Amino acid sequence: MENNILRIEHLTMQFGGVVAVNDLSMEINRGEIVALIGPNGAGKTTAFNCVTGVYEPTNGQILFCGRQIARSSPSGKMRKIYAGNDASAFVGDSVRLSPDHVTKLGIARTFQNIRLFSGMTVFDNVLTAKHLRRKSNFLTSTLHLNYAEEKRMREETRELLKAVHLLDVADEMATSLPYGKQRLLEIARALATKPTLLLLDEPAAGMNPQETEELSAFIRHIKDEFQLTIFIIEHHMNLVMDISDRIYVIDFGRLIASGVPDEIQNNPAVIEAYLGGGDE
Amino acid sequence: MKEFASDKKSRVPAFLSFVVIALFYLAVFIAEQHLPATSMLFTVLKKGATYALVAVSMNLLNGFTGIFSLGQAGFMLIGAYTYAIFTIPLEQRESVYQYFQGGAVHFTVPVPVALIFAGLAAAFFAFLIGLPVLRLKSDYLAIATLGFAEIIRAIFQWNQLGPITNGSNMLRMFPNFNDFNIRNASGEVTVYLSTTIPFIIAGVCIALIVLLIHSGYGRAFKAIRDDEIAAEAMGINLAHHKQLAFSISSFFAGVGGAMLAMYQTTVQAKSFTSAMTYEILLIVVIGGVGSVTGSVFSSFLFVACSEWWLRFLDEKQMIGTFEVPLLRNGFRLVIFSLIIMIVVLFFRRGIMGTKELPDLFRRKTKEGIK
Ligand SMILES: Nc1ncnc2c1ncn2[C@@H]1O[C@H](COP(=O)(O)OP(=O)(O)OP(=O)(O)O)[C@@H](O)[C@H]1O
Ligand SMILES: [Mg+2]
Repeated sequence: MENNILRIEHLTMQFGGVVAVNDLSMEINRGEIVALIGPNGAGKTTAFNCVTGVYEPTNGQILFCGRQIARSSPSGKMRKIYAGNDASAFVGDSVRLSPDHVTKLGIARTFQNIRLFSGMTVFDNVLTAKHLRRKSNFLTSTLHLNYAEEKRMREETRELLKAVHLLDVADEMATSLPYGKQRLLEIARALATKPTLLLLDEPAAGMNPQETEELSAFIRHIKDEFQLTIFIIEHHMNLVMDISDRIYVIDFGRLIASGVPDEIQNNPAVIEAYLGGGDE
Repeated sequence: MKEFASDKKSRVPAFLSFVVIALFYLAVFIAEQHLPATSMLFTVLKKGATYALVAVSMNLLNGFTGIFSLGQAGFMLIGAYTYAIFTIPLEQRESVYQYFQGGAVHFTVPVPVALIFAGLAAAFFAFLIGLPVLRLKSDYLAIATLGFAEIIRAIFQWNQLGPITNGSNMLRMFPNFNDFNIRNASGEVTVYLSTTIPFIIAGVCIALIVLLIHSGYGRAFKAIRDDEIAAEAMGINLAHHKQLAFSISSFFAGVGGAMLAMYQTTVQAKSFTSAMTYEILLIVVIGGVGSVTGSVFSSFLFVACSEWWLRFLDEKQMIGTFEVPLLRNGFRLVIFSLIIMIVVLFFRRGIMGTKELPDLFRRKTKEGIK
C-alpha cells in the first residue's frame, strides 16, 4: 500500500495581485495527523481549497495516493502578473478535478464557516453525503428499487451519528443545533463519504472549552475507527500540540517551519510570526 | 431505546393522506357520473389537474433544486405539439393541415404513448439547452430560460416547419379529455371519465415526482439547493444533477402541456406565452415553494378563482334595485391581482410553506397523544 497519502509540490495560489499561497510543499503519510497553522489570512483555507478542487492552483501540483489531482502553471493573464515561484516547472498537461471528483477519490472536508444543508434534518445531512457511493440510478432510486442500498445507507448513517453522539437529535433541523454540535455534524457528514483523508478546517472554532477539550480525543478516536489520515487547520494551540504528529506553519502563504510539535513550539520564526501577527 | 422518526417513521400520517387522496378521487368520479358534464366544476377540476402537474414540475426545479427556471411554457408547448402531432387521426389530417397538404407525419400513436412522447420531447430539448444554460447563476438562468421559451414559440410558428407544426395555424381534432368517456354503441356516454382520467394522469406523474424527491437523488437536489459548495464537497456532481432535475422537470411540463392541449381541444403556439409561466410561478409561490401539496392545492384554488368564483365581478350585479359600482368587464383581474399581492406580501411562505399533506396529520396526531 502506498504510504504517501498527500503530496503538495510548489503550490502557489494567486488571486489578482494577492499571493495567498506561495510555493508550499508538504506531504502527509498514511495514518498521520498533520496540522497546518499560521496567523489569520496566512493562506491555510486557500491551501485546502486547492487540495479539494475548489480552486485551480496558479502553479504547482498535488498528488493524492500517488495520483495527480491538480497540476497547473500560470496561464493567460496570470502569466504577466504572476508573482510566485518558478513558473516553468509545471508547464503542459494540466490536471483539474472538480470537487465532487476529488471527494469520490477519498478526500473529505469540513468548512471553516459551517456549511450544513440548512433545509434538512441532522439525519438527512449525513445520509445525503452517502449519495456519491450509490449503485442505483435515478430510475431505480425513484421507484425505490434500491431498497437494500437505502436501508444500508440509513443504517450506516445511524452508526455515524452514534459515533458523534448526535443520534438523539437526528430528527432536528441541522441549523437548529448549537455551534459545537454543528461542527461535529459536519465531521459526521464528511465521514459519510468514506474518505481516506479527512481535512478539518478549524473544527474547534465556536466550541466551548469543554467541547474543545473533548475534540482531541474524538479526532483520535475517529482516526482509528475509520482508518483515516487527518489534515487539520486549527488555531487552538493546545489542541494542535496535543494531537498532531507533525505541524506545518505558514505565514503570508509561505512555509516558515515544519516539524514535530516540540520543534514548532520552540521555533523562533514561528513565535515571531505569531507575535508579529498581533492577532493571536 | 428511543425510536427515531428518521428510520421508523410513523406510517399513520402517510396512510391517512393516502386515504384522503383516494376519497377525493372517488368523489370526483362520483360527481362526474351525476352532475351535468357542462358544470363549471369540471372545467376547474380538469384545468386544475393540468396546472397542478405543471406547478409541481416547476416546484421540483425552483423549490427542490434551487434552479430558478422560467421556461415552463416553452416545455409545455413542446409537449402539447408533440402530443397533437402524433394523435390527430389520419383521416382528419387533410383538413387540419389544409395549407400543408395534410402534413408530413403519416402515422398516429395511442394516447398514452403520445403522452410519453410529449414528455420525452420536452426533456430532450431541456437536455440540449441545459448544458449551456445551467452554468448560469440565478437571474441569468431565469432570463435564459425565458428567452428559450420565447424562441421556441417563434420557431413553432415558423412557416417552413408547417408540414409538422402547421405553422401559425392551430392543431385540432386530436383526442381530448371527452374521448376518455366510455360510450355505448349508439354513442351515449355510459361511464364519464373525462375528469377522472386527467386526474389519474396528473396523479401518477405527481406521485413519481414525490417518489423522486424522497429518493437519494431528491436529497442530492435539496443539497444543491441549500448549499452548492457543500453539495459538491460531498461528492454530488452539480452539472449532472442539475441537468437531471431540469430534464425530469421538463418531462413532466411536457406531459402537462399535452394535458393542456387535451383540455383546450386545440393547440396554438401563440397561446404559450410567458404570462402562462408567470401564472404557474404564482401558483408555486402561493402554494409554498418547496411543497408539492401546496402547489397542487393552489393550482385548484387559482383556477377556481380565475375561471369561476370571481367571474361575477366581470358582470353587472344588482342587489335589489341597487347596482353595485365598479363591477364591469376586467374588474375580476383587478381583484385577482390584489389577492395575489396580499398573499405575496403577508404569506410569504405560501399556504403550505414546505409542509406536505402527511405533516398536517402528523401535527394533529401528536396533539392527540400529548
Ligand atoms: N477567492 C479569493 N479571492 C481573493 N482573495 C482571496 C480568496 N480567498 C482567499 N483570499 C485571500 O487570500 C488570503 C488567505 O486567505 P485564507 O482564507 O486562505 O486564510 P486563512 O489562513 O485560512 O485565514 P483564517 O485563519 O482567517 O481562516 C487572504 O488575504 C484572503 O483575503
Ligand atoms: Mg481559514
